Amino acid sequence: MTINTLAKGGCHREQMACFRKMEKVIVAMQDPDMGMKMRNQRLLITVIPHAMTGHDIIAWLTHKYRISEEESLHLGNMLVKYGYIYPLKEPRCLVLRPDESPYRFQTPYFWTSTRWPASELDYAIYLAKKNIRKQGELMEYEKERYSLLHKRINHTWDFVVMQAREQLRASKQRRKADRIVLECQEQAYWLINRPPPGVNNVLDTGLERPNNFSCRVTLNSDYYKREIEACRKALGRNRVKSSICLEGFLKYSEQYLNHDPIMQGCLPSNPWISDDTAHWTMNAEIVPVPTRLRVERWSFSFMELLNDAMGRREFMTYLEKEFSAENLYFWQACEDIRHGESSKIVEKVEDIYKNFLAPGAARWVNIDSKTMDKTLEGIKRPHRFVMDDAQMHIYFLMKKRDNDPKCSKITLA
Amino acid sequence: MGKEECKTMLDALNKVTACYRHLVIALGSTSDSQNLREELKKTRKKAQELAVANRTKLTSLLKDKTISKEDRAEYERLWVLFSSCMELLEVDMKRSLEIAQDFPLKVPTRHLIQTGMTGSTTTVAARAMSVQNMKYEADSNIDTADLRDLQAEITQVSQMMEEMEMKVQVAPWAVEAKQEAGAELKSNMSVGNSSVGVISICEEEPKEEEGGGGSRETGFASICAVIGFFVIVIVALVLGYLVVNM
Repeated sequence: MTINTLAKGGCHREQMACFRKMEKVIVAMQDPDMGMKMRNQRLLITVIPHAMTGHDIIAWLTHKYRISEEESLHLGNMLVKYGYIYPLKEPRCLVLRPDESPYRFQTPYFWTSTRWPASELDYAIYLAKKNIRKQGELMEYEKERYSLLHKRINHTWDFVVMQAREQLRASKQRRKADRIVLECQEQAYWLINRPPPGVNNVLDTGLERPNNFSCRVTLNSDYYKREIEACRKALGRNRVKSSICLEGFLKYSEQYLNHDPIMQGCLPSNPWISDDTAHWTMNAEIVPVPTRLRVERWSFSFMELLNDAMGRREFMTYLEKEFSAENLYFWQACEDIRHGESSKIVEKVEDIYKNFLAPGAARWVNIDSKTMDKTLEGIKRPHRFVMDDAQMHIYFLMKKRDNDPKCSKITLA
Repeated sequence: MGKEECKTMLDALNKVTACYRHLVIALGSTSDSQNLREELKKTRKKAQELAVANRTKLTSLLKDKTISKEDRAEYERLWVLFSSCMELLEVDMKRSLEIAQDFPLKVPTRHLIQTGMTGSTTTVAARAMSVQNMKYEADSNIDTADLRDLQAEITQVSQMMEEMEMKVQVAPWAVEAKQEAGAELKSNMSVGNSSVGVISICEEEPKEEEGGGGSRETGFASICAVIGFFVIVIVALVLGYLVVNM
C-alpha cells in the first residue's frame, strides 16, 4: 500500500493561491462571448476543435486585463509552465510563443495541484501504458524511472500492469480524436509533474517554502471560537501606553545624544575618514584611562556599568572595599555560563555551587530561600539558563544596594 | 476455487476503476454533460458493490488458518492489489467531488473547459457496467443531488479502507509481484496501430519511426488498393472475354 498523501486526520492540503488564481484566468477564457477565440486543429484525417494560437492568447490577456504585451506574455508563459495550457506542436517545450503555434487547454483533472500531488503509482501506470503503446520504445530517462519504480513499488506491480491494460482498453472505447487529445493531455501532465532530467521542476519551491496565508478559511463555529480565544488572550496582555513609551524613548535619545558618534561626531576623529585609529585605541575594552564619555555612560544605568569591562573592574574595587564583592563575582560567573561553551556548562555550574551557593562556601551569596530552592533543583539537571533566577536576584540586589550616588562619585573621580 | 473467483472479482473491480478514472478525466471539460454525471454515479455504485464483495471474500480467505503457505502468499498479493485499487478509487472519488463542485452544469455563468474532447463517454461507461447500451434515467438536478450522495459514499469508502488497514494484517512489502518489468509488452495488446501515425503530432522524439510507421501504413493501404483495382480489372477482362467469346 502506498503512503496515502492525504493522511487521515493529518493536515489538509490546500491548493496554492497562485494556482487558484491561474484557474480563474483559465475559466474566464472559456466564456463563449468574451473568451478565447477557438480554432480547429487539423491532423491527417481528424479534426480536433478547441485549439488556439499563442498570439490569440496574448491578445486576449492584453485586452481582458488591460496590461502591456510584455506582461501578458509573462502571464501566458506562467500558464503554460504550470500546465494549464499545453503546446501542441512541441510538447516538451513549455513556452508560450507569440505566433501561430497552437495550444490547448488542459482538463481540470490534470491541472497542477498542490492538493492532489501526482503519486508514484499513477506515474508507474502511465509509464506502463506508454510502454505498451510504444512497444518498449520509452525515452532513456523514462526507462530508468520505470525500472526504479519497478523496484520501489514492486509489491503492487501486478496492479500497475493490470490497471495500465484496462485504462488503455477503456480509452479505446472513445473515438479517435478524443483518444489523441487524451494522450496529449496525459503527456503534458506528466511532463510537468515528473519533468525530464535537466528541466526545472516547477513544483519545487526550493529552500523558501512559500506561505499560504491567503488560504481559504471556512467561517464555521470552530473558526469563530478560535478567534474569540485569541482576542481574549490579547485583551489580557499587558500594554504600555504609547505616550509613556514615547516619553521613555525621548529620554533615552536625549541622554545618549552626546554619546552618539553619528550625531555628535567622534573625537579625536572618525577613523573611517581620517584613517587615524586613535578613536579605537582610546575606546578599547581595557585601557589605562577610560574616556570621559565612557565614564559618564556608567552613571546612566546599572546595566551600562556592568556591561563595560572597565566599569565592572571599578565596581569590583569599590565592592571589595565594602566587603560585598561576592555578588559581582557571582553575577560574572553566571554570565560566563550563559555566554560560554556548552561543553563546560556542567563543570561551571559545579564551580558556582561550590564557591557561591553551598552552605559555608567561600563567597556565599545571599539569595532568598525560594530562589535558592529552585536553583538547587535546577542544578541537578544543569543547562545554560539554570542560574538565571539567582542571577536576576543578585542583579537587583546590587542595583539597589551598591549602585548609589556614592559609587558613581567614586568612579567618576 | 477461491483463488479464481477472487481473481475474476478483482479483475472486474480493476476494470471499473479504470473506466471510472477515464470518466473523471472528462469532468469539467466539454465532454462533461448530464449523462456523464449519471455515468459516474452508476460506475461508482458498481465499484462500491464490487469493492465490498472483494473485501468480504478476501477477508474470509485470509482469516482462514487452514490454508497453505503458497495460498496465503497468493491471497496476500491479491489483498495488496485490492487495496491499491481502492486507493485509486478513493482519490478519484474525492477529485470527482471537487471538480463536480467547481463545474456545476446548470449554472449559465460557469463554463466548461474547452479541452478538445467532445465525444461522449457512453461506451466507456457501458464497458464499466458490462452492458451493451447505457440507459439514462436521471432527473435534471443530478449535479447537486448527486454530490451529497457522493460525499456520503466517500466517507463510506474511507471508513472501509481504515477498517481494512486495521483488521487485516498484511505486510505489503513482503509481497512479491508475479510480473517482471516489461511484462505488459508480452501480452497480445495490439494497441491502435491506426493511432500510431497520428501520434507524431503529440510526440517529438520518435517522430521518424512514427512518421515512417504512418507512411508505411498508408503505403501498405495504397498498395492494397492498387492490387485490388488490378484484380477487379483482370476479372472484368476475363468476364468480358468470356462474354465476347460466348
